[in-house]
Amino acid sequence: MTQGQSVEKILVPFKSVPDPYAGAAASTSKSVINPFDEIAIEEALQIRERGEATEIVGVTIGAPAVDEQIRAALAMGIDRAVRIDDARALDPYAVARILRALVEKESPQVVIMGKQAVDDDSNQVGQMLAGLLGWPQATFVSKIEFLENKTRARCTRETDGGLEIVAINLPAIITTDLRLNEPRYVSLPGLMKARRKPIETLTCEQLGVTVRPMTTTLSTSSPTRRAAGTRVGSVEELMAKLKQEAKVL
Amino acid sequence: MDFAWSEQQRELLDAVGRFASKQLDYDVIANDRDAVFNHDAWKKCGEFGIHGLPVPAEYGGLGMDPLTTVAALERLGYACKDNGLLFSINAHMWTAIIPVLSNGTEAQKKKYLPGLCNGTLIGGNAMSEPNSGSDAFSLSTTAVKKGSTYILNGSKIFVTNGPIADLLVVFVTMDKARGADGLCAFLVEKDSPGLDVSKKIEKMGVRTSPMAEVFFTDCAVPEENLLGKEGAGSFMFTKSMTWERGCILASAVGSMQRLLETSIRYAKERRQGGQSIGKFQRVADKIVNMKLRVQSARHMLYHCAWLRGQREPVYMEAAMAKLHISDCWVKCCEDAIQIRGGYGFMVEYEVERELRDAIGSKLYSGTSEIQRSIIASWLGL
Repeated sequence: MTQGQSVEKILVPFKSVPDPYAGAAASTSKSVINPFDEIAIEEALQIRERGEATEIVGVTIGAPAVDEQIRAALAMGIDRAVRIDDARALDPYAVARILRALVEKESPQVVIMGKQAVDDDSNQVGQMLAGLLGWPQATFVSKIEFLENKTRARCTRETDGGLEIVAINLPAIITTDLRLNEPRYVSLPGLMKARRKPIETLTCEQLGVTVRPMTTTLSTSSPTRRAAGTRVGSVEELMAKLKQEAKVL
Repeated sequence: MDFAWSEQQRELLDAVGRFASKQLDYDVIANDRDAVFNHDAWKKCGEFGIHGLPVPAEYGGLGMDPLTTVAALERLGYACKDNGLLFSINAHMWTAIIPVLSNGTEAQKKKYLPGLCNGTLIGGNAMSEPNSGSDAFSLSTTAVKKGSTYILNGSKIFVTNGPIADLLVVFVTMDKARGADGLCAFLVEKDSPGLDVSKKIEKMGVRTSPMAEVFFTDCAVPEENLLGKEGAGSFMFTKSMTWERGCILASAVGSMQRLLETSIRYAKERRQGGQSIGKFQRVADKIVNMKLRVQSARHMLYHCAWLRGQREPVYMEAAMAKLHISDCWVKCCEDAIQIRGGYGFMVEYEVERELRDAIGSKLYSGTSEIQRSIIASWLGL
């Protein structure tokens, strides 16, 4: 890339998940963009608004129902979107293989995506995609800066021990942590504009990918119900219970 | 008859609900006590697209039909407890934006509407005077043409958004002897020489919406700021008042829905005499009445807006909606307080404020008595 040139294309894969803020009492399960992916979309938008990227393409995998989350992403401001039409419950490796095919088709310089989806907490797709493509990766990123005419990126990673700063060559995969940014809300003008933006639909066959699940979900169950607590009358009673019943003191 | 929203309407209304619950669900108690307007929330609403809902896209709005617009404002009222902010938004939309949109020249629309739609300009309306309220057309603020300007003299009271307005729609008379036929309207910018705005007036409710008196002393307004034609003032006023009456209480319907839901929750949780108070028929009856009021108010709101969307005259329907919704709102607030007993009387429980906010709705945009007069006259009485 020459001096001053911007990243031509950022690809943002995102997943549609049940609304994590809907609360257990919600009678209907509404879907939303996975919050970590929403942060990835916001970061791509900010990079474009700084003049450091030209185009943002979103991609998601699912049945036509996920078009609602695609329109939300378009309304936030991404330029166009691709839906891979596949209603199956795919495991991370299958998702990574589909995304690899799309990356090869779209040739983005950067892929930014959430570090994990809040429904299955797998935290694997970004890493697997980097592995499949042979690209560098920076995971759990809380800050992105482009270096040396957009040939490299400096990423601040959040690790258990503190912050780690890495420099990676582009093209690369970046997965986002919670503290990267605060995603913007969808405005009504954005929503109206989104209706005119294109959503391309592709199938796995069209991408030349055959995926079959490597894991099978055997069963799912709710957490066991906790017994109701008791109210104690005094500090003394509390201390006695902690010693004798809970045996924690 | 189809009561269903289209997919696009549902998407828009969902977006309004999400926006309002995330961005506008702030603490109102201190702002109400200190009569503070929330500029930040105003700006967010502008950027989000609320102010411009009924304005065509070419002037910076969204071009929504009246029904979708009132339903969006209802969602706003449900999630946002700051009735003062909503009152300011309504005044801005119905008494500033709509008159400019309906009567403005192309130049006026291009100059003012984009800013009014995105919230960078705040609009207000100056009609009522100390001696002309319900008898609106007896106003006595005058305009005299002098060269290429009009000279305004007089004073206005109860100007919503007055202390913060960038643009006022001001109704004046050019010939008092001609009564209603002598009226006209001007777009007066805030820094016009001879325009003075008082400190904000203290009010019982909607305290977070600033209101002022406005004085004109040889206030020179350029002739290009005449809104509509000389003598067309009463026609324009009646037309924009009809918009205002039919739409201004959309957010009140949302507020009522919220009061209903919080009252149900309270009646289930609060236990007296060994059972939830909701099991007492006298409490349940109040909640049933609240439900009936919300539902009937919503239907009247929607029907009036739908009719307007069909380009049908709505003079009587707007008056009926305004009369009924304001009445229901006040009664819902009273019930919400009564259900909570002594707690309802406490500021912290946030229903006494709703009542104070609601009472104004029986006064502004024509008192309930005036709405009844309008309905009676349309019934041939």
